[in-house]
Amino acid sequence: MTGTLLFQSLVLGVLLGGLYALLAAGLTLYFGVMRVVMIAHSAFLILAAYLAWFFHQQTGMDPMLSLVITVPLFFAVGVGMQRLLITRLRPATITMMSVLLTFAVALFIEGMIGFVWGGTQRRIQLPYSGDSVSFFGAQIAVVKLIAFGLAALSLAGLYLLLKHSRFGQALRATIQHREAAQLIGIHTNRVAGFGFGIGLATAAVGGTALSLDATIYPSLHWHWIGPLMAIIVVGGLGSIPGAAIAAMILGIGQSLLQVPLGTTWAQTIFYVALFATLMLRPQGFFGGRLAQRF
Amino acid sequence: MSPLHTPLHPRRRGVAAAACVAATALVLTACSDDGETGGGADDPIVVGISLPLTGDFSEPGKGVQRGYEAWAEFINEDGGLLGRQVELKILDDQSSADRVVQDYEALIAQDEVDLVFGPFSTRLVVPSARVAEEYGMLYVEPAGAANEVFEQGFENLFYAAPAVADDHYNYLAEQILAMPDGERPQTVAVASMDDPFAQGTAYGLRDKLAEGGLDVVVDEVYPPNTTDFSSIAAKIDDSGADMVIGGTQYQDAVNLIVALQQLDYQPQLAAFSTAPTNPEFADAIGDKTEGILSPTGYTETASWPSNVDFVKRYTELHGNPPGEDEANAYTTGQVVAAAVEAVGCAEQGECQQQLIDWLRENEVDTVVGPLTWDETGKPQGAHLIQQYVDGEIQIVLPKDAQEAELIHPKPKW
Repeated sequence: MTGTLLFQSLVLGVLLGGLYALLAAGLTLYFGVMRVVMIAHSAFLILAAYLAWFFHQQTGMDPMLSLVITVPLFFAVGVGMQRLLITRLRPATITMMSVLLTFAVALFIEGMIGFVWGGTQRRIQLPYSGDSVSFFGAQIAVVKLIAFGLAALSLAGLYLLLKHSRFGQALRATIQHREAAQLIGIHTNRVAGFGFGIGLATAAVGGTALSLDATIYPSLHWHWIGPLMAIIVVGGLGSIPGAAIAAMILGIGQSLLQVPLGTTWAQTIFYVALFATLMLRPQGFFGGRLAQRF
Repeated sequence: MSPLHTPLHPRRRGVAAAACVAATALVLTACSDDGETGGGADDPIVVGISLPLTGDFSEPGKGVQRGYEAWAEFINEDGGLLGRQVELKILDDQSSADRVVQDYEALIAQDEVDLVFGPFSTRLVVPSARVAEEYGMLYVEPAGAANEVFEQGFENLFYAAPAVADDHYNYLAEQILAMPDGERPQTVAVASMDDPFAQGTAYGLRDKLAEGGLDVVVDEVYPPNTTDFSSIAAKIDDSGADMVIGGTQYQDAVNLIVALQQLDYQPQLAAFSTAPTNPEFADAIGDKTEGILSPTGYTETASWPSNVDFVKRYTELHGNPPGEDEANAYTTGQVVAAAVEAVGCAEQGECQQQLIDWLRENEVDTVVGPLTWDETGKPQGAHLIQQYVDGEIQIVLPKDAQEAELIHPKPKW
């Protein structure tokens, strides 16, 4: 193992961690506002990737422009899904039942993708697909850098929205204590709906970022949901900064572990971290007091 | 009381009994019919087949079905086998190993078919070959290239394709080892999916090159669900290997190649199984295919006499040329037909052993070239080696089937 390889792996880990962070942020947001385990999050991620691919194929324009359509669309779908489906679940069993409900949604999306675009594996071919820039001896692929940039921007936007807007305060109040939030006049149902929409919008951004540098196929989402679930538990359910930090650490860890252990064992890091968290600190390592309440 | 426990209404019971009698009568009629018609000289030759038409292997399974049906149609147009028409009896085993055993039991024992052809994939070939062996039937199969098929000691099995996975790259290995010292690559990096077929192809080449004195500097295995190949690519790039071998299926090859390109890794030789022969491959990795090598068991452009005819007739029938699954199924038909014509019989019993003995001793000309087998039923050939030359995938090895010269070292990607 050489120093260059180590540094290269570290850089790749940071880039991968960025994408994990964005996706995990969305996933933990659903849980925070609604106590919903959203299995279909990664299915929407792949759907967004397919939409980006389809957009590029039809118009020939850069797939990133599809964000203009997919982000508002996914936000609307998220609000609609919360209003029409999630709120029908009984509050007492919402966490359990949401697993079943969103599992069904995931299967439905997977099936529809296969039905509309077929099971063939697709890839967006861009003029800069194979390009890279040199960074202290490491090669950084341009597409990965763009994906990371998109993720970082969206996370920063999400952070600003939650910390410095009235809506953000209302959302955080809803996450922290729903009844109290209602007492001070927050429309928690509307806030939860918007929260769900924002979560789904992160999937739109993540999927577009993913489509730049991945071969996509309908069942790909199953490979994403496991690591993402592990990340939000390690980070503390409902904690967005916790999810982002855990995503970064596990992403870098996975990338570095591939050097000595190989691909097969490196991916177990997510589950080892999950078990360790559940044994040592079930409420999550970063922030997140929520888990204690269930 | 729940409806489940309600005793059967007397009238219903009567209906059930009548249905039973009717069913028994039908079964008996069916049996006596079989008894009367079996073995007549002008009756069609019935070939029993079970295929995965639904379930995991349904895509390749349907390909094999098209190949078998094309074979039967063409041979009937040409006057049949031994002057008798050929009839296929195809059952759906739902990609299940239990089901495939039942299907072949039923085909051989109840339907008394004259011949059987194999199903698709190792997982179904092994259990069904055992059934065929119990009944002493000749068993030629179109798919089941993994080593375990040939380690079971079957005495009736023949694989109707040019080579098993380990031998796919034999022509390339010979070519590399024959290169003069300055040209021959010194180091090899291998990355393979954790899959018996993919590993078979890559490790066959790796082991032959290692024996020939090349250093294996990277040897990675990744699970089939891997989608991020940047770390594996980083390892390969860091090793600076002269040659890269990918034991790949499809998306893994595309992702790995793009990741290698992103790191600006430039090998002298790059060989990947399966993916490069896929029509979508060139599109997926852009215009950077030049020089990529891949073994192939079948190409529609191959000039074997029966292949030219097969591709022409198949294309007329379906509007598109046959793929590898169709060709392997067709080959199965050709192999059995050659034995039947030579021995002069097609029925259960002693005839089957004569067919088996004939195939052990003889070479058969097929759409994938001339085939011969060893005592385990392993074909004795190697796959053609294709390379992207001038933007098109063309046969470069062996020399006598060549469409273009092998490019070495490969241009930058």
